[in-house]
Amino acid sequence: MRVIVADDSVLFREGLARILAEVGFEVVAQASNATSLVDLAKQHAPDVVVTDLRMPPGFADEGIEAASAIRSIAPHVGLMLLSQYVEVHHALRLMNDFDGGVGYLLKDRVSDLGAFAVDVRRVAAGEVVIDPELVTRLVGRRREQDPLATLSDREREVLALMAQGLTNTGLSEELFVSSKTVEGYVRNIFMKLDLPPADRDHRRVLAVLRFLRQQ
Amino acid sequence: MSTDENARDDAPSAAREAVVAGSGLVVAALVVSGWSLGFHLDNAHNGMLGLSFTAVGLYVLRMRPRHLEGILFVSVGILHALMFFGRQYGAHDPPLPGAQWIGWIGVWPLALAVALVAWTLMAFPDGRLLSPRWRLAVLAMMAAALALSLMSALWPVDYDRTAIAVRHPLHVPGADRAQEFWEPAQACFLLFQILWTAAIVVRVLRARGDEARQLRWLMYAVVMEIAVLVAGLTILTSPVPGLLSLPLVPVAAGIAILKYRLYDIDPVINKTIVIGVMVLVITGGYVAVVLGIGAVVPAGRGLLWLVTTAVVAVLSEPLRRRAQRVADRLVYGHRTTPYEALAQITSGLDGAPEDLLAGIATTVANAVGASEVVVWVGEEDRLLPAAAWPSAVDDPGCTLSDLDCPRWQLRPVTHHGTVLGAVALRKAVGESLTVAEDRLLSDLVAQTALVIVQQRQAQHLQAAARRIVTAEDVARRRIERNLHDGAQQRLLTVGLELGVLAERVTADPSLAAHVRDVRTHLLDAIAELRDLARGLYPMVLTEQGLGAALEALADRSAVPVKLSVELDDRLPREIEAATYFLVSEALTNAARHADARLVTVCVTRVDAGVRVKVSDDGRGGATRSVGGGIQGVTDRLAALGAWLQVDSPVGGGTQILTVLPCG
Repeated sequence: MRVIVADDSVLFREGLARILAEVGFEVVAQASNATSLVDLAKQHAPDVVVTDLRMPPGFADEGIEAASAIRSIAPHVGLMLLSQYVEVHHALRLMNDFDGGVGYLLKDRVSDLGAFAVDVRRVAAGEVVIDPELVTRLVGRRREQDPLATLSDREREVLALMAQGLTNTGLSEELFVSSKTVEGYVRNIFMKLDLPPADRDHRRVLAVLRFLRQQ
Repeated sequence: MSTDENARDDAPSAAREAVVAGSGLVVAALVVSGWSLGFHLDNAHNGMLGLSFTAVGLYVLRMRPRHLEGILFVSVGILHALMFFGRQYGAHDPPLPGAQWIGWIGVWPLALAVALVAWTLMAFPDGRLLSPRWRLAVLAMMAAALALSLMSALWPVDYDRTAIAVRHPLHVPGADRAQEFWEPAQACFLLFQILWTAAIVVRVLRARGDEARQLRWLMYAVVMEIAVLVAGLTILTSPVPGLLSLPLVPVAAGIAILKYRLYDIDPVINKTIVIGVMVLVITGGYVAVVLGIGAVVPAGRGLLWLVTTAVVAVLSEPLRRRAQRVADRLVYGHRTTPYEALAQITSGLDGAPEDLLAGIATTVANAVGASEVVVWVGEEDRLLPAAAWPSAVDDPGCTLSDLDCPRWQLRPVTHHGTVLGAVALRKAVGESLTVAEDRLLSDLVAQTALVIVQQRQAQHLQAAARRIVTAEDVARRRIERNLHDGAQQRLLTVGLELGVLAERVTADPSLAAHVRDVRTHLLDAIAELRDLARGLYPMVLTEQGLGAALEALADRSAVPVKLSVELDDRLPREIEAATYFLVSEALTNAARHADARLVTVCVTRVDAGVRVKVSDDGRGGATRSVGGGIQGVTDRLAALGAWLQVDSPVGGGTQILTVLPCG
């Protein structure tokens, strides 16, 4: 699987390239800023791009801008955005702007090689990956009247995993239950929270994140 | 308002000119033809009033269409002109054709005419009465006048007092009983006089500013008119001088209505009083000396005149000064005493800075009786008007030497030898500062220096505080960035290496577990560092603005937050930061100390800037401890010119509110 790595920190980028190579990716190019990332993506036609979100020149959200540019020329490239902070508004924007195949993780996650490799492959396969910390924060957010109180513990667990981007298949593997059981959980949750049904996985993530963001 | 009035409003001004000219011509024709019929002293005042009131009223209406007082003036004028013509016609000897009826017109409207004049005086200067109660009084007066006039129209009750030569044209029965009733009913005329006098007195007492000055014109004219009338009657035993000066009243009233900012009337009255008093005293002195001493001491007339003149010459200056003091008190009213003036300034020190200098201008004006005061602030070669009395001055700036001209009494305001500004004042023409006023002015100028110094220091302090806060924010952002690019990045790289290591040592389970432990510790450290960096200056604030940053705060809050941010645009960076840190601190306190169940945060744009309100339902009783987090927020706000209002009754929750000034 061909991958391009982008980060302005040489040490981190090199390390990232090395571990990706170690877990079986073919690192075709490395970029140190958003502009060169877009150029390299045009040249090398990668399957997936792993990029820092905050990069030169503005150190704001250049990673997302670059991802947009890449997606517009190569609609099937997986986009994994890494950041030192995970912010809800970025997650919402990614779910809103990208039609799946996108991930948003803390940079911390790369230290668990195996899990990180799985996440990158999921993104490359068109799935959605949202950092568990962000989801934990949202699920745990204190609310005046908590609608999540109507959910069972198991349903809460399923909700959090849905928010992280797991598909029904992913859920049944993660929870060691049949896909039928998973569908039952999901249906219940959507009914209890009065959420509109979502046909696409990333739409489902967006709906759940938005719901969790409500006051 | 009637429709024809609206129609007149829409009509071209040529039509208005025509109406004005037409009414003027009619009145002029009535009065002139009346005069041509002969001279009757009893009627003369009607002619004078008719002409002068119409002329002034029409002029007022021409300048200010539909001015109520103008309409009243014209009504008075037309009615008097009509009566004048009627009386002149009726008084003609031999009787002219139709003299009975035309003369009748000159007699019966008398009560209405008197009441109309009273109404006009009561409604001076704007044509409006003081209050609904006064309207009721005028209504009653007009009703009484109408009744009297009707009586006079039906029976010849008022014919005896007029110089009319013909008889009443009507022969309605009951003339005797009407006459009986008429005698006591005439008391109404006195009541009318009392009513308008009372109205004017009340008005004078209540009037301020321009209206007071307008009333002073009228009062001046009325008093002069009475003086001339009395002088004419006593000295010349003739009412003619009084009659001739009658138009003085409407003319003065007209000036007062049309001309605002009538500051020039005060010195006129003042001088009149001084001269009047001196003339009275000197005349009295001559009379006393010539009659008194002349009767006792057998001396030549020439010698007596000489002595008297000498005495008068010696006494005139002290007399003038005394008369001037009396006149000043009468005209300018209460003059602020030195103690009061200084007290006013001191008590004003805690007011808004921009009001302080305005207060000084007013105090100076009151203290020395100036007609105009301007407080200039700046440097010797560039002064700007900072405050002025009675009205603001628009001046692009000037130097101290520009101001140093005979028009102004100029006092430089200095502090430690440096010019900070100047107080420039003007008194009425011919008046100068007395020694006491001079000394008081010096004291006030010294106070002004302190006020300017205090103001400057306050400005410097705020500017310095703002610089400090800005510098702190710059430093916070820099440290956050350095952490992000430096330590955090390095630690993450170390974490990455540890991850690789963990994969490679799977052969040795205890070593692998150890490596995973180390990695966990490292990730904890990274998380703590991340929180620290976020607390310094959150990236989301710089990047996404206040709304997103406050949402992120609410996501992490330990107490439920109801957030409402109504902002159209990004705000200046320092205001965003101040608001963010204020809300952050309030949320922390609500969770840590207040035991609150809900915090409501409202950020809205208001005219004065950005209004931030944070309220919780906790236990209240919050205090500002020095050095506490809220102190830092208070300092931050103060640097931006905002004050934190903390309302925290025990058991009643805590509400903090501030408005950050923002263009």
